[in-house]
Amino acid sequence: MITVHEVHKDYIDGETRVHALRGVSMDIDSGEFLSIAGPSGSGKTTLLNIIGCIDTADAGDIDIDGERVAGRSKRELTEMRRQKIGFVFQNFNLIPVLTAYENVSMSLSLLGVSQEETQERTMGLLAEVGLEGMEHRRPSRLSGGQQQRVAVARALIKDPLIVLADEPTANLDSETGEAILELMKDVNRRRGTTFVFSTHDHMVMDYAARLCRLHDGLIESDERRSA
Amino acid sequence: MLGGRRTRGERMPRGFLIALAAKNLARHKRRTLITASAIAFGVAIFVAMSSLLEGFAAENNRNVSRYETGDAAATAPGYWDERETLPLDRVIETPQEILEALEREGIPAAPRVAFRGELIVRYDPFPEDGSIQRTFYGIDVERDPEVFGLSEAIVEGRFPHAGQEEVVIGRWLAERLGAEIGYPISVTTRTRDGFHQIMDLEIVGIFNTSNPILNRYQAFLPIGVADEYLEMRGAVTSIHMSLPGTLPSEADTEPVREVLSDFDHVEFLSFERLNEEFAEIMEMENASNAIILLLLGLIAVVGISNTMLMSVLERENEIGMMRAMGFRNGEIRSMFAYEAAGIGLIGAIGGVALGSVLVWLSVSYGLDYGVLMDGAEMDFRFDGVLYGVWNVPTMVASAAFAVVLAGVVAIVPTRRILRRSITDSLRHA
Repeated sequence: MITVHEVHKDYIDGETRVHALRGVSMDIDSGEFLSIAGPSGSGKTTLLNIIGCIDTADAGDIDIDGERVAGRSKRELTEMRRQKIGFVFQNFNLIPVLTAYENVSMSLSLLGVSQEETQERTMGLLAEVGLEGMEHRRPSRLSGGQQQRVAVARALIKDPLIVLADEPTANLDSETGEAILELMKDVNRRRGTTFVFSTHDHMVMDYAARLCRLHDGLIESDERRSA
Repeated sequence: MLGGRRTRGERMPRGFLIALAAKNLARHKRRTLITASAIAFGVAIFVAMSSLLEGFAAENNRNVSRYETGDAAATAPGYWDERETLPLDRVIETPQEILEALEREGIPAAPRVAFRGELIVRYDPFPEDGSIQRTFYGIDVERDPEVFGLSEAIVEGRFPHAGQEEVVIGRWLAERLGAEIGYPISVTTRTRDGFHQIMDLEIVGIFNTSNPILNRYQAFLPIGVADEYLEMRGAVTSIHMSLPGTLPSEADTEPVREVLSDFDHVEFLSFERLNEEFAEIMEMENASNAIILLLLGLIAVVGISNTMLMSVLERENEIGMMRAMGFRNGEIRSMFAYEAAGIGLIGAIGGVALGSVLVWLSVSYGLDYGVLMDGAEMDFRFDGVLYGVWNVPTMVASAAFAVVLAGVVAIVPTRRILRRSITDSLRHA
């Protein structure tokens, strides 16, 4: 479903060139629950950003759903993100003036889905992530865990090909973090949604069905486990 | 894998972006209000100034037409270009034929003989001796009221009688001279042939028009008296006409042109031509109004631009998230443009409301320049109290301008943030 082939990415940090990714290759199949793990600076966020088409590789290529990413225009990449990719961010990134319902349904507005279908899908998904009755609350009236549930629902609402989550539990206490992981795992099991999330937390890694360890921009290990 | 109904390249509904922009406006209410207030101030000042300027122009046109030129005029060719010197060698030799032709067409017309003279007053009955240069008009006391409003503006005494050596002067001049009804004045001038002449006249009336040029600088006597003293031999310097409508259109002047085309050595002067000096002044006034508008626009631009820049910078992370989700740059630009236009709209509504109050005050009570004008030289035709006029199109246009300007101004800061990479924006704390 997603093929990462010999991806390189360098950054300039001041006067130093940082090799964030130094030839990473991997295949991600549909329905995987994959964790990209590694210490800070290992290149996991960079890899997630490139898979998510919000950053581009200096060399190498990525195929998403059979479509080559390299050489695509910014507009085409935007369309790809709009249609196929869901994001969950470390700091939730909800729009503070919108309610939980509006934050989630916004993704469907982008796709021109009818109001009736939007309502049906949004309400269903909010209930699925445990936020029934909180649809009209703004982020300021939700706990961190609830906000991340909204963020997960927002990523899932458009039925994406893949959900990319960059350290989704980093801003949550361990109990809430585990609950979010349970939720993601559950969605992965029931819906077959592909999740790729980065972490350096061992507890989070334990949830992954496949664990890909990065070190200094290279894949150190790639193991599939029974969850 | 891909489920649900979706269409490639679907556009974000504008309604959603407008609703989101409206909600964002409420994020920083105070900031929104301060910026909107600056816009409101600009719009209100512009609306009020436009109202006064338009009132000023309307009043001027009315006073010029009613007391100085009529709605159209005829002179000898070239007279109007040299009107500053009031030449008596460029005259209409046979005004009677023209007046009769105009009368046949039902066009009210009145002849005048304009000349400059030295008005001399002497101690007893006047408080002191003195002289002052003024413009005198010989008027046809029968025909003149059909074109001009002078006869209705007599506040003391009466209008002169035909053939009598009588004069009417303005109240402003009368007060400064210490003149009263029955006082004698002398006027020295030159005849049509250039000989010195002195006229002895009696003040029989004092007028007070809404045109200060008349009140201060002009005096009127019967045309027969002027003809005799100036040796005009029946010639006049101009014939003035009254036409339908406040500002006669080209079509209104057509019958006059047709009548005059039968006469040689007569030049037709439209109201625009008669009033072109004022039109030039108004052009300058409009230009200065445009400069004020530009300055007010600049204040609004700086205010909105600053507000939007702060707004965009504060929400950089959010913008990064939206772009990651698949919002197109155009959609984000539109959202911020709607937001800025929203500030513009609040400002415009406030500005039009405040401007309407100012216009209402200026229409109802006017702006009294009387004290300022009393001793000053006067070039304008309004009597000290300047009244505004309601101009709804200007209000709507200035409000629309504020909204559009605000929306356009938002483009710059938004574009700046959209130039950054999504990952940089997402890293922004």
